[in-house]
Amino acid sequence: MGTPKPFFLWRHLNKLRWLSLSIVFAMLVALPFMHVYQTFTAAHAYDLLAPSEKQLYDVMETLTAVFTEDPAEDLDAIKGNTWSGSFFGLQLSDPLAVAGQMAAGLKVYAPFLLTALIPVLFTLLLGRFFCGWICPATLLYELNTNVSTWLSRLGFKVGNRHFDRRLKYAVLGVGLLLSAATGSVLMAAIYPPAIVGRELYYAFALGGFGAGTLFFVGTLLFDTLVARRGFCRYVCPGGALYSLLGRYRLVRIRRIAESCNDCAKCNAVCEFGLDPLRDHFGQECNNCTACIAVCPTQAMTFVLRPTDIPEQGPGHLGKQYLRAHSEKGSIDAAP
Amino acid sequence: MQRRSALQRLIRGAALLAAASLPYGMARLTTPEARAQIRSPGRNNERNHIRPPGALKDDAAFVAACIGCGLCGEVCPPRCIRFHDRDGGGKANTPYINPEEKGCTLCNKCMVACPTEALVETPLNEIDMGIAQIDRAACYPWVDRGICGACVSVCPLGERAIGFEMWNQYRPVIKDGCVGCGLCVEVCPEPSLPIWIVDRAQGTVVKHKV
Repeated sequence: MGTPKPFFLWRHLNKLRWLSLSIVFAMLVALPFMHVYQTFTAAHAYDLLAPSEKQLYDVMETLTAVFTEDPAEDLDAIKGNTWSGSFFGLQLSDPLAVAGQMAAGLKVYAPFLLTALIPVLFTLLLGRFFCGWICPATLLYELNTNVSTWLSRLGFKVGNRHFDRRLKYAVLGVGLLLSAATGSVLMAAIYPPAIVGRELYYAFALGGFGAGTLFFVGTLLFDTLVARRGFCRYVCPGGALYSLLGRYRLVRIRRIAESCNDCAKCNAVCEFGLDPLRDHFGQECNNCTACIAVCPTQAMTFVLRPTDIPEQGPGHLGKQYLRAHSEKGSIDAAP
Repeated sequence: MQRRSALQRLIRGAALLAAASLPYGMARLTTPEARAQIRSPGRNNERNHIRPPGALKDDAAFVAACIGCGLCGEVCPPRCIRFHDRDGGGKANTPYINPEEKGCTLCNKCMVACPTEALVETPLNEIDMGIAQIDRAACYPWVDRGICGACVSVCPLGERAIGFEMWNQYRPVIKDGCVGCGLCVEVCPEPSLPIWIVDRAQGTVVKHKV
């Protein structure tokens, strides 16, 4: 009896999320090396390799020998990045890639459209979960947030400006219009997960970072110096598309007002600058569960409903305060 | 009064549009190629670059269809597919093959891997990346500076793509079956590369003006 308690594992989902982000990022780092190893095995020319290439070959052989006898064929099972990739024969694409390609070519190519079906269905159910759980840039951005926090503790001035969140929907719209006008998928050049995925490939397999790295470092600087997690909050066109798709998501986080003590740690920890304390999650919550993990009174839990629950007012301490305040007209009377 | 508020709304909308197109402009400016274009417009350092096999013939359609995911490059066994990774504008991150570095082995993997219609699965004899062209004023056998035949021996299509001239059995001749894979360009030992890949309409022989 009493206040409802969240399921005890949900406090630990945040660790699972970090694990998921790390695995995706580690895969994006490993895949280029695996491809280089594949090219070496396909060429059947171990003796012609340079010493460093031989080292790479030996390491990759040791790592993959457990899984495969024929690396040149079998390692094709996982290819690509989160922008578009194939996973054991299942081709998956970012919905933004599909939207951008449709805008650029002004036509629909059904096989490519279908590759975004599974991500879109998951987004309709879970909202902007890609941003919190999969995006390879999120890992770097969240680490960057931590570094910024340390820097601010050391006395550096870290930017924490706020802009209009609706800017990113404009970025999405302008991107689609520009793509249609120029006939190329322009979003690929400013969408951080696409940039990270392919720049890692360029760097490790083709021998040099491309121009996207410079842009990505720019977004990191923007996050540190101008607005905390600013690119994801205010600019990212993919985040805008995911937000729109996840507007009526079924799985969302809610606050249990009876357990809440109004400490506002959830607001402080929220990477997207939302307001869980006042039940304002909105379409931009990415279900990252950081607020569940940080809540000291277990007042955050999941709920299955297509809209946020309406504002519940202050938590139990605040309610007691208000009650005492309104009855006796004095702050001292609060228990 | 009403007119002023409409004007304000217009200005606010314009500011929003400008702010929203800012990241695209920044992405354009981060590319060294774009900065070079600003410094010396009209410069084009693209030479001997061909699209991967099965690419749409219309390059504008190809650029519109390609999303720059890099899958074609990641499955390429000889790693011949490179990307316009430092070029701005439309063709940014689209794939190309530079046969001077590495030719295509016609293994089909990139066409199968491509999630979009940019690379269409094409039977071997219908692939059209271009056609090889030989400069008969520079090729060793054609100027009687020895025998070579490297291009003929490396050609994956053999007889129907390349052969020797009838009256001098050392001089290579390109035939209509050539699909432009560029392996001949890769192996050509002559430093000035008298063989390269051109658009099919340009023919197989360099026409020198005397």
